[in-house]
Amino acid sequence: MGRYILKRVLQFIPVFLGVTLILFALQNIVPGDPIQLIGGEKALPPETELQLRVKYNLVKADENGDAVLDDNGDPIPTSTWERYTTYMGNLLKGDLGSSYQRKLPVTEIFAQKYPYTIKLALCAIVLEAIVGIGAGIISAVKRYSFWDILVTLSTSVLVAVPAFWLGMLLQLVFGVMLKVMPISGAGSASSPYQDWMHYILPAITLASVSTAYAARIMRSQLLDVMNQDYIRTAKAKGLSNRAIIWKHALKNALIPVVTYIGVDFGAMLSGAILTETVFNWPGIGYEIYRAISSRDWPIVMGGVTLVVLVVMIVNLLVDVSYAFLDPRIRFDRSSKSN
Amino acid sequence: MADTKITRRAFVGGSLAAGSLAFLAACGQKGAPAGGGSAAGGAAAGGTLNYYISNPVCIDPYNVQETQGTQVCLQLFDALTTYDAEKEELKGLAAESWEANDDATEFTFHLVKGAKFHNGDPVDAESFKRAWTRVVNPKSAVATAYAPSEVSYHLSVIEGYDALSKGDTDEFTGVTAKDDTTLVVKLSAPYADFAFIASHPALSPVPEAAESDAKAYYLAPIGNGPFKMDGSWEDGQQINLVRNEDYYGEKAKLDGIHFAIFKDVETAYKEFQAGNLDVTDVPVAQIDAAKSERGESKDGYTMAEGQHMLLGGEPSTYYLTLNNAAEPFNNPDLRKGVSYAINRAAICETLFKGTRTPADGIIPPGIEGYTEGAWEFAAYDVDKANEYLDKVAPMKDGSRGISLTLSYNQDGGHKEIMESIIGDLAKVGVDVSSDTPEWGALLDQYADGNYEFGRLGWVADYPIMDNFLYPLFHTDSIGGDNKSQYSNPEVDQLITEARSTVDAQERVKKMKEADAKIAADCPIIPIMFYTHVIAGSDRVKHLYIDPQQHAWLGTAELSA
Repeated sequence: MGRYILKRVLQFIPVFLGVTLILFALQNIVPGDPIQLIGGEKALPPETELQLRVKYNLVKADENGDAVLDDNGDPIPTSTWERYTTYMGNLLKGDLGSSYQRKLPVTEIFAQKYPYTIKLALCAIVLEAIVGIGAGIISAVKRYSFWDILVTLSTSVLVAVPAFWLGMLLQLVFGVMLKVMPISGAGSASSPYQDWMHYILPAITLASVSTAYAARIMRSQLLDVMNQDYIRTAKAKGLSNRAIIWKHALKNALIPVVTYIGVDFGAMLSGAILTETVFNWPGIGYEIYRAISSRDWPIVMGGVTLVVLVVMIVNLLVDVSYAFLDPRIRFDRSSKSN
Repeated sequence: MADTKITRRAFVGGSLAAGSLAFLAACGQKGAPAGGGSAAGGAAAGGTLNYYISNPVCIDPYNVQETQGTQVCLQLFDALTTYDAEKEELKGLAAESWEANDDATEFTFHLVKGAKFHNGDPVDAESFKRAWTRVVNPKSAVATAYAPSEVSYHLSVIEGYDALSKGDTDEFTGVTAKDDTTLVVKLSAPYADFAFIASHPALSPVPEAAESDAKAYYLAPIGNGPFKMDGSWEDGQQINLVRNEDYYGEKAKLDGIHFAIFKDVETAYKEFQAGNLDVTDVPVAQIDAAKSERGESKDGYTMAEGQHMLLGGEPSTYYLTLNNAAEPFNNPDLRKGVSYAINRAAICETLFKGTRTPADGIIPPGIEGYTEGAWEFAAYDVDKANEYLDKVAPMKDGSRGISLTLSYNQDGGHKEIMESIIGDLAKVGVDVSSDTPEWGALLDQYADGNYEFGRLGWVADYPIMDNFLYPLFHTDSIGGDNKSQYSNPEVDQLITEARSTVDAQERVKKMKEADAKIAADCPIIPIMFYTHVIAGSDRVKHLYIDPQQHAWLGTAELSA
């Protein structure tokens, strides 16, 4: 197991370098000068513009922090490669740069925002696991019953409904019309609701589509397992339905669902851009969305760096968890049982 | 059999779940909103006003720039002067009085005695010098910790600005603290309106803490205004202020202000409808409903009982910039013909439900020197449009063979405005195709002069004619805000003369002369003037939001 994990961690390195390098290259292709965007409709004074370019390593600077000028007196832009190596060097020191727009260090922004993304992702994943797996089990056990049809229909609807639309609908019904739920944010002095109430609608919105998928996967997997020989044997032995499902069928049927939920959790931890945007959620998803539209590259880069790391780690954890769910799966080559 | 069992269980479970949810929902309501937070809070005298803003760029004066940051900064800080739009006069705030020398190159400000910062430090002349130096100096503690200020241009008229802004020195030679209450400012060129610049919140004083602990100060600035910070700025969420009990002027009536940060006006308006906000902007789609529900304010700027919808004009102009330095818009007849062809009133009525007004010049109402119908060509007259366009290319079979390219960013509702303009021009035989880069790319094109005509807006930093005419039309502003690359030596001369004229009336007269000369050349096409579209809740008893969108929260009151 140890060797497997080490191998996987080593595999992270080229993936990580590749993704970040591609993004760095993309910064050059996307039109629009981020420093001019800072000024917007009002042009920045030339000396301020140059100082900002030095600050963000967009032009070459001497050891005093002054821009290096060419023969024509123009500043010399840094190449993508130079910026990339500087970025990676700083990354090793835990420095992700500063936001072009708000000037705050990216690490500070993420340290403030990421806990909100994690908390929302946890709420959503718990909801997804309980409701998705629960509905899938009921649907499979009571095949063709009213409950099965209800689950099938509602999952079809949920899969089809875009998350942002569902979010807005929930806001309108529970926030504006019924006034029983907060509309946006993660709780503040002006909200008449306790902070935890603010998690309900965003968590439902974030979990909606994946819950439907989880229910569908659970249903088909459980039905598949229930047709296996060993289940028939268990039935022949006179075990109760409940014992068969809980003790024998469920554990085997769960593996694809756990994979799905695990991967989904990784995606949620990367920031749910749509849900966070609709609910004004102070997480990194909305932060990255805002940064993309304003060419705030340090935040976009920092966000992608974080997302790549989180997704890789979560995927690794999911793979490792298989070993616990299915004893036949072993990762060490020395193991003979696989 | 099994079905019945599960159904019963499901029923019991469902009932329990529903009951729990109802219980949780009941528990989820706060007993008493913090600081009388909700609209139903029933606040005691004072109370906390819940005010919508989007996330500010900065609330530290050193880099305060847009409406949101300015709004917060104005409550925390008192600059030297302030413009009272109701009385249409500039009055002292941190300064009791001031005077300029004969050629408007030196200003002496006499500060209010005994004023203190929120931490008890004295507000003296040195605190202004410290503040202005840190705005300009790229090596100041805050500039080093974050980034150089983007608004140092406010101080560019002061002697010693160039050396300090380049980092050659740490001394701002043009600013002298003569004694504790006398601040002397020497300018590098005459600028009679400098006292207006001194009203900008970026020029507010700062205590020593601003430099000694720049990072903490950036998120929780210590000012000298009627309110002080309660905690730090929570990025993207909230900024809370409480009344400054030691304020040297008339103390605020509100206990505090909760600036609730939302990403867009639609979300904020939903919160307002749910009763969680007291002051919000209104989305265009909701304007009619809000007008009838909230009741229009009589003067457009003051909220009172039954009058909670503000629709007063702002000193901001939406216009088309024309590239005067290249074909085809180096032809004045084309510029004038195109300007006459645009139905501004239709855009204001249909797209903005009458909440914007057709522009009749670059200077909006509310700025001293505004003249109704100042720009002859900023009017809708199809006959005259045809007359001028005939000089460029006569009409043949419904077309003049003129093909123009209009550059604009499609977001922010600009697409609809531009489509309306394109439609108007088609009616006078001018074919217009759209060039729709993203905003960042569009700014590149404007900066490079790589466009024919495009859209822009101008929001005044200070309510004076100079703040429109110099940046937009002076030759020295080419490469900066003068994106039309308009250059007229006579206009330059008049603006320069106006800047050195101490007599206010005489100065405005010269500015109006410059404006008339610009109008005759029609280098840009004014489209419309912006207006407030702000609604208040029933809790708001009195609130004045001036044309520059500065909320005078020091005098605001909530109902008991």
